[in-house]
Amino acid sequence: MGGTVMTVGRAVKLFKLGAPLHPILVHFTIALFSASLFFDAAGFLLVITSLSVTGWWTLAAACVLTIFTVITGVISRMNLPIAEGEARSFLRSHMALGLIFFGILLILTIWRAAIWRAGGDVSWPYLMAAIGVAVVMSIQGYLGGELVYRYGAEVEGDFTRLNGNKSIETTAPALYGKMSPPPTDESGGVG
Amino acid sequence: MSEKQFLDLEAFQWLGLLIIILTGILLADALAGHYRSGFENRSQYTPFLSGGFLVIATVLTFILPSVVWTSTILEVAGWTAVVTGLIGFGFHHFYGVAKKPGGYNWLLHYLMYGAPPLAPIALSVIGVLGLITARGLQMEPQIFGFQLRTSLLVLTAVSLFGAILQAGILHYRGAFNNPLMYLPLTVPLAAVLAATLVVMVPGPIPLVVPAVLLWLTMLIGFVGWGMHLRGFDRQMGGLYIAVFNWLEGPPAFAPLNFSGYAAVGLVVVYLL
Repeated sequence: MGGTVMTVGRAVKLFKLGAPLHPILVHFTIALFSASLFFDAAGFLLVITSLSVTGWWTLAAACVLTIFTVITGVISRMNLPIAEGEARSFLRSHMALGLIFFGILLILTIWRAAIWRAGGDVSWPYLMAAIGVAVVMSIQGYLGGELVYRYGAEVEGDFTRLNGNKSIETTAPALYGKMSPPPTDESGGVG
Repeated sequence: MSEKQFLDLEAFQWLGLLIIILTGILLADALAGHYRSGFENRSQYTPFLSGGFLVIATVLTFILPSVVWTSTILEVAGWTAVVTGLIGFGFHHFYGVAKKPGGYNWLLHYLMYGAPPLAPIALSVIGVLGLITARGLQMEPQIFGFQLRTSLLVLTAVSLFGAILQAGILHYRGAFNNPLMYLPLTVPLAAVLAATLVVMVPGPIPLVVPAVLLWLTMLIGFVGWGMHLRGFDRQMGGLYIAVFNWLEGPPAFAPLNFSGYAAVGLVVVYLL
């Protein structure tokens, strides 16, 4: 744990290939699906074909990317020691809803593909269904966000204090049980 | 082959894809079950050979759909899977019930805690799907004297019904501890009835009824998949000790069988 990074060489040395990929990929799923909904709605309301076509391709990309989001999510869970408690309840719901979300996204994508191949435009029922999927995705995103930002899941050194403020005591998140503290490394961070 | 297409693939090409996916799902769960028992009987390797052969034959057929010999290989692989599944059913029954202490006097117990009695039949079902697909790719309109469309609808109904029975007995073992465990006994059962009615009394029931029920069944498969993953994490340690809980938790991919069988029915409804 050093000071401010001043050189490119040092920055390169700090680069870690072992970083969890799930937090990266979830944003592709969220962004692509949201963009698809936006473009489809805009294309439908403004009657602009190019926007509808963009809506289809962004949805197709979201569906493909979500396969990797799910896989990396499972890998993240496999690397996460977590005791029974509040955080794990969030995690369990996040895991279950993740696969359910993937299922409804897949079905919606098949529906959208049929519309695209027929050369038609989306309909109100499709848009309503897509909004429903967006609601599920938002709940899923909320659960995942809480896991990271409230409980520190997969955040390396989640107990690390700010440099120069040794007096600051952080409240330990509920990720680990009190009876089984996680191993700590030299810097006091969680392993 | 049928003239209707979806994303440039015809009905029997989609069925080929579904064979590959369904075989993968089946073998993943078979691996967990057979590895748990330590492969103590060498015949426990058979589904992987038979299933692997089926996947390779289907991939060949998918790549070269108009070449006759690939369809012939798929037929051979299909028959191999059918026979392997039936033998597996006998083995599961013999070693899982008959040979166990108490035998048939403890039938319910062994149906719940022994080798899953209907799981090997799933391989036979996929084998039959391979046979039908091979016939379809060879432009033959019938199999065993029945229209391919009728055969596929019957296969969808039978396979879903088997999955419902297997899920029913295992969810009963789990005491239906979550209300969602009743789901396999609801919409999929209605889908079975609808598919059966479409076959037996064509006409009165619009195809939209089985179509909606099959879409919902497909969705229920994913709900079950998510809930089974959640079930892993209810075990001590959850997925952090993945292999142990993969073996001891609910079958990881079994709910996706519902989605796969429903997809077969949907291919029939929309493309055949």
